[in-house]
Amino acid sequence: MVYLKVGHMTCHMTSLELARTGGNLVNEVNYIGLWQIVNTNNSGKLVQIEYALNAVKQGVTAIAIKSGNGIVLATERKANSVLLKNDTNSKVELITPDIGMTYSGMGPDFRVLVDKARKLAHTNYKRIYNEYPPVKILVQEIAKVMQESTQSGGIRPFGVSLLVGGYDQHSESFQLYQVDPSGSYFPWKATAIGKSSVSAKTFLEKRWNENLELDDAIHVALLALKESVDGELTGENLDISVVSEPQQQSLGFLGTDVAGPRFKKLSAEEINDRLDAL
Amino acid sequence: MADCSFGITGKDFVLLASDQSAGRSIIKMKSDENKIRTLSPGLALAFGGEPGEFTSLGKRRLMGGTSNELAKRGGESDMIKRDTNNFVDYVERNLRLYQIRNNTELLPAPASAFIRKELANSIRSRSPYAVNLLLGGYDKVHSEAHLYSIDLYGTKAILPYAAQGLGIYVALSTMDKYWYPDITRDEAVELLKKCVAEVKLRLAYQFTFNAIVIDKEGVKNLPL
Amino acid sequence: MSDPFSINGGAAVAMVGKDCIAIACDTRLGSQSLGLANNFEKVFQMGKTTFLGLTGLATDVITLREDFRLKNNLYKLREEREMEPKTLANLVSTSLYERRFGPYFVSPIVAGLGKGGQPFICGFDLIGCIDFAKDFIVSGTASDQLYGTCESLYEPNLEPEDLFETISQALLNAVDRDALSGWGAVVYVVTKEKVVRRVLRTRQD
Repeated sequence: MVYLKVGHMTCHMTSLELARTGGNLVNEVNYIGLWQIVNTNNSGKLVQIEYALNAVKQGVTAIAIKSGNGIVLATERKANSVLLKNDTNSKVELITPDIGMTYSGMGPDFRVLVDKARKLAHTNYKRIYNEYPPVKILVQEIAKVMQESTQSGGIRPFGVSLLVGGYDQHSESFQLYQVDPSGSYFPWKATAIGKSSVSAKTFLEKRWNENLELDDAIHVALLALKESVDGELTGENLDISVVSEPQQQSLGFLGTDVAGPRFKKLSAEEINDRLDAL
Repeated sequence: MADCSFGITGKDFVLLASDQSAGRSIIKMKSDENKIRTLSPGLALAFGGEPGEFTSLGKRRLMGGTSNELAKRGGESDMIKRDTNNFVDYVERNLRLYQIRNNTELLPAPASAFIRKELANSIRSRSPYAVNLLLGGYDKVHSEAHLYSIDLYGTKAILPYAAQGLGIYVALSTMDKYWYPDITRDEAVELLKKCVAEVKLRLAYQFTFNAIVIDKEGVKNLPL
Repeated sequence: MSDPFSINGGAAVAMVGKDCIAIACDTRLGSQSLGLANNFEKVFQMGKTTFLGLTGLATDVITLREDFRLKNNLYKLREEREMEPKTLANLVSTSLYERRFGPYFVSPIVAGLGKGGQPFICGFDLIGCIDFAKDFIVSGTASDQLYGTCESLYEPNLEPEDLFETISQALLNAVDRDALSGWGAVVYVVTKEKVVRRVLRTRQD
């Protein structure tokens, strides 16, 4: 055990329990962060990161699949009560016009990371080069934020794993990454994080192939989610976004050579149509 | 203060010469001031300050303060000398620090980059240094002689031969005529003497000179 | 005299041809009317087909050359690819504007071939305002003269050999009418296949 001196005060052992965070969005996620103390157990693992990974493991499953002509990011957005107005909350977010991000774990932590990622995309890239960052660069920036939270005093690691998918203009290809609380990141063809990630990944291993098209990818994502969702699958309790062809109509203006955003959220109706065809 | 310095390279040596006068405006107060500094076994510089109160960028060159304060610090002529000497001390000690830390001397090329950067940063500071210098060195790794002319803005030129101060008006044409790439040391010394003679013949100001030669053996005084 | 842009002198020009670009500069470094050095190049290669030209106050030319060398090298390491000319142009612009209230006294130009060999040239003022051009960009103490020679000699869609002749004549004749420029010249002609660097012998007075 290592004691860290913070300010004028040396903390011996303070634990802060952040229970039931994320309200109704994250079901019963208990995430304990140890405040100001860096703990290593016999195996040399940083336990705070282990705790954060536990938070992710209990989180709602999120799935991302890369195909030749696009990426799908999908997760469940369940309301625990009929009284809850659920359609304002979003679990798959646009970071840049060509990059989207979803998560498993703690909702509030995700929203903080979305804010930071959007800001970093501008301050560290667009305001310098007048173009949006490639997926890998943005992923590295987010991973840096998450890594720094494992090594700074007075803060706990982020209790989320992220799935970041987007289009890279330079290699003219779609890219998909997973970012963990430790700051590690991995490129994937298709993956799942959260509660039923293991079974979902086994499913994806069987269904993924090089010739997959975006429509197939959405189909596979819905099938994989079906396995992990308890109740009925509806467009209202799913959050699905795709990054594919430029969406000229969502640009809001015409007559320029500016390409529209490739990120697009599927509406409840669109999801329901696809569920009907399942 | 009127300055006058020369540098001449050959294939494996550099000559540096500088006048020895110190003073202010048209008044000479000293004629045995050494304005050549040996920085390391293979590196030396000849330095001079710019006359005048302001630089071209419009910033005040001298340290701030009223004339009363200036008098207390020892007069304006000292102020200018302190300006140049301070900078050369700073450079010398930083190069020495580098040698101690890394157990190797900085070669002429990186040393010139360091000095240039210091002056380039200084010119945009509140009280810039007003130092012009000729940096001569022998690069033991590449077995080459180097000469750099660096002005108070941090403008660096890599040159085979150079003059600074009043010498540019009378001696550059002499160097243009007599210098050639394979010039021997004796010929270079003769050329230097021609330049000094030209200064004595054509300039109203009376200079005395000291000179050094830098080669693979190190830095040696050169009697003129 | 106190205009920082005309203490050291120097000129640079870039032109667009058919699937190629050319960029050239003189090699004089002066201190007002005195010539200090005839080996002071003002065009720097930033990538396989990307070039940056810097004229103006010589100390700032050196400082910015080193600054952009650093930024370009870090970019290459980070992104594992070379910077597009357009991206370099935006980087130059933002870097100069960072010094909005204490600027570097330079007039940069950028020339290169973009993705798919698309020719790109542009120029900047000292605080980074980009001047995109389809034909040619001039900069330096001979810029007035260069405008004249370029306007009369330039024609669109020149092949690399003809573009070399055009840019060389434009530069040489312009610097001969400027006391602060000349003393040698360097020309780069850039096509997708190769970069050709030629050192021009000019009058040495």
